[in-house]
Amino acid sequence: MPEDDLAEEAARLTINGDNSDRGDLGFVAKRLAQEARQTLSSSGGSRGIRDVTEEFTVAAKQLQPGQLVKDEYFTLFEAVGALEIMDPKMDSGYVPLGDTLEPDFDVCKGLPAEQVLWIMDELLRLTAVWHDGYPLSQTIFTSLHVDRLLSPDNRPPYQLSYGDMTLRIMTVEEQLVHIVLRAYCVALVKSCALVLHTIQSQNFYEEEDFVTHLFGRELLPSTGANDAIKLLDEAVKFLDGAEVRQVMRAALLERLHFAQTYISLLITNSADWNTLAAMGRLAETHKLAQPIPEAFSDKVQRQLATSTPPRPMIAISWDEALQRWTEFCADVVEADRLTCFDVCQSPHALHRAIWAFAYREPQPNTFARAYLQTILFASEQITEGMAFFDLMLTDMRDLALAGDVLADPQSFLIEMPSDSRHRCSRIIEMFMDKAFDEYMNLYRMVCQNRCRIRRTFTQSVAIFDSLETEAMKTDAELESITPGIVLPHEDGSGKVALNPLTSWVKYHRLQTMAWTTQLGFETDIYLPHELSMMYWYLMVFAQRRCKLVEHIERFLAARRKRFASSRDARPDDEAAASQEWLAVLHKQADFEASLSSALWQLTELLMTLGILQPPKRDYAQEQLLYDVRMKSYLGIAHDPIPTLEEYMSAAQSDQSVGETCNNVNSTIADAKGCLAFLKKTNPEQGKYVGTEEQWKREIKQLETTCVAVAVQTSQLRRVADKHGKLVSVARDASMKGMLEVSIPLPGSRYHGWWVVPQIRERKK
Amino acid sequence: MADGEANPDSVQAVQYLDDLLNKTLHLHITDGRMFVGQLKCTDNERNIILAMTHEYRQPSQADVKLAAERHEKGGLSGNVKVGMRKRFLGLVVVPGQYIEKVESCWTTSITSQI
Repeated sequence: MPEDDLAEEAARLTINGDNSDRGDLGFVAKRLAQEARQTLSSSGGSRGIRDVTEEFTVAAKQLQPGQLVKDEYFTLFEAVGALEIMDPKMDSGYVPLGDTLEPDFDVCKGLPAEQVLWIMDELLRLTAVWHDGYPLSQTIFTSLHVDRLLSPDNRPPYQLSYGDMTLRIMTVEEQLVHIVLRAYCVALVKSCALVLHTIQSQNFYEEEDFVTHLFGRELLPSTGANDAIKLLDEAVKFLDGAEVRQVMRAALLERLHFAQTYISLLITNSADWNTLAAMGRLAETHKLAQPIPEAFSDKVQRQLATSTPPRPMIAISWDEALQRWTEFCADVVEADRLTCFDVCQSPHALHRAIWAFAYREPQPNTFARAYLQTILFASEQITEGMAFFDLMLTDMRDLALAGDVLADPQSFLIEMPSDSRHRCSRIIEMFMDKAFDEYMNLYRMVCQNRCRIRRTFTQSVAIFDSLETEAMKTDAELESITPGIVLPHEDGSGKVALNPLTSWVKYHRLQTMAWTTQLGFETDIYLPHELSMMYWYLMVFAQRRCKLVEHIERFLAARRKRFASSRDARPDDEAAASQEWLAVLHKQADFEASLSSALWQLTELLMTLGILQPPKRDYAQEQLLYDVRMKSYLGIAHDPIPTLEEYMSAAQSDQSVGETCNNVNSTIADAKGCLAFLKKTNPEQGKYVGTEEQWKREIKQLETTCVAVAVQTSQLRRVADKHGKLVSVARDASMKGMLEVSIPLPGSRYHGWWVVPQIRERKK
Repeated sequence: MADGEANPDSVQAVQYLDDLLNKTLHLHITDGRMFVGQLKCTDNERNIILAMTHEYRQPSQADVKLAAERHEKGGLSGNVKVGMRKRFLGLVVVPGQYIEKVESCWTTSITSQI
């Protein structure tokens, strides 16, 4: 018997590794084998059921109180997740005394236009809530009309009535339900199916972002989306000639048009969501609706397949729901604009565009982010004529190899095997293959929720580090075929080559390290007393980035000198553009280094003076705390991060309070200088085409942040002076009790990535 | 594993219950529902934990009526079959006080018994 074979297979299931009873994998395997054996019944024999109530009860009574008879692989930890039957909070099928299993509402009965309108608007409201991530069991499935259409008892063509309605002559009110409302429900359900398809085709996180659970129901599988549109057309035709008040006719037609537009946009994957947004007129006619809350009920959960406790229906207001719809449409339209052809020509501009999308307020919902991913990754290319390969090559070229024959697209077309360009291109392609996944993740991961961006980038750091090893090997190979420019080392000792691929990977690694730290500030994972250390590390990462950019710039300048004598202007133009952009990157890294330095010094001073203190921890050890916090960076092999000792020895506690305040101010002045430079950059130079508005806004926020730091520092200085502490060495001075510090929460900062402590004098 | 007791009745009881572990049980409870799942755990209050559980309900009058209508429409003869309503729940614990009947499944097969 096939099932027996399977059962035997399952029984033999083992996984190599720890086979002891409590070894995780062996444990799971045994457990799976056991459950499989049980589920696969052996056929070909006879079976039956036997009443064992007496025996079971007697046997159970023999047990001691608290004694359990349980399967050896069943852990009590799991038992906590068991649904307790007959407990109303856990048992979704529990029917209280006096209540009926099913809601007492006849979905087939005719309804006046005002009530049909209300139901349609309520469904719209619930769809907005579903988009926000609430499960169908709490939203669209609570509609009794939808529930009837989706019921397992129902059959195509999914009418509201199980009986035959065609022979009856329906009243207008019945027609409003069976023609108009039904068409609307069918369209909404098919739209859900399309939305789910888009979301599930891309990267997202179940339960965090969105709940895709269908609770054992199918979404009208025999009806296609185009059939739904036909139904809507028929409903419109009916309404046009129906005996309904003109104002109600108009209101109902608006809802039908909304449903038509919504589903059409989903079918064609078009970005023309402005047409949907323009349907704001819905807001005006909503007041004509007459509530009929009996048409919705959470009792539907009693019949849905669910391994979770019953959940309440969501309450957001109609106005809030409309607001969500408007934002939703705007997000999709913006996603399209941000990935237009021009923006996609520059990897950096595209990257900025995706970050800008992620930082829209409020954060775009899961569908909008899946839509953006679909635009970028669903086809074989980023945009017309720009394959993923081209994008990556352009990135390398823009950063490290402008004007260089190595990254010239033409070089990759050379077919003559003896040509050095052909050989180099194949080597570079092999490297790009290895780096491809992680490189594309730089774009894809920014489309996830904020916490996940930080967490995945933390893992990327390690991957980039190992890619750097590959890059070094590749650079050595390239150097042996086409020796590049060699320059004297910055510190005078010996020579150094560009190592373009290594520089490229290193740049992305350093950038990612900075981002993970910044996102840590944004998602509020650092305790107040850790701010100082994290800002110091951010400063170090930024300084290393500066050095790397300087390294690349030296070679770029040297390369340009060689072009001076050439007749072809293109490489030089390319190099000139790259130079301008590298200058911008340099300034941005400079700025980051300066501002983080200022904040490091300020927060460190606050700690030294006893104002910001770690919590009392008797068993904590500095090194262990450090290891846990910096865990993701500790494994970096190429230019490892400074150790805890190095951080501690960088402390400035032997300066006076006044001196430190002065240093903070001068560092802030440096930061402001960088911002002034960046302000004067145009979109081409800074590669921020498409995100001009965000660029300007961010500089403003950063300027305000700089001012805030200066203000807080002067606060500190003023109070220190008042108590005669200004010239005291910080280490020996204590200002405990003289000042209060509060750390602004995410959402109440000038810029989400920069935490400026608020310093106030404590009044006696 | 269950702790053994010196009392021979108790040992036998534990053995009996132990043998039922991972077998499929049908639990009928006071409100008329039936739960079918694999026995994972029980205690002296007869609280029962079932895994991979399905909940079954008796069909309502409306269900019977619908089945009859469809039977007629389809021109079928003989008795009308009305299925019980079924849905998947996963891991459940049924408190002993609500259990009215416990049934176990038995099978004999042509090949060896599992």
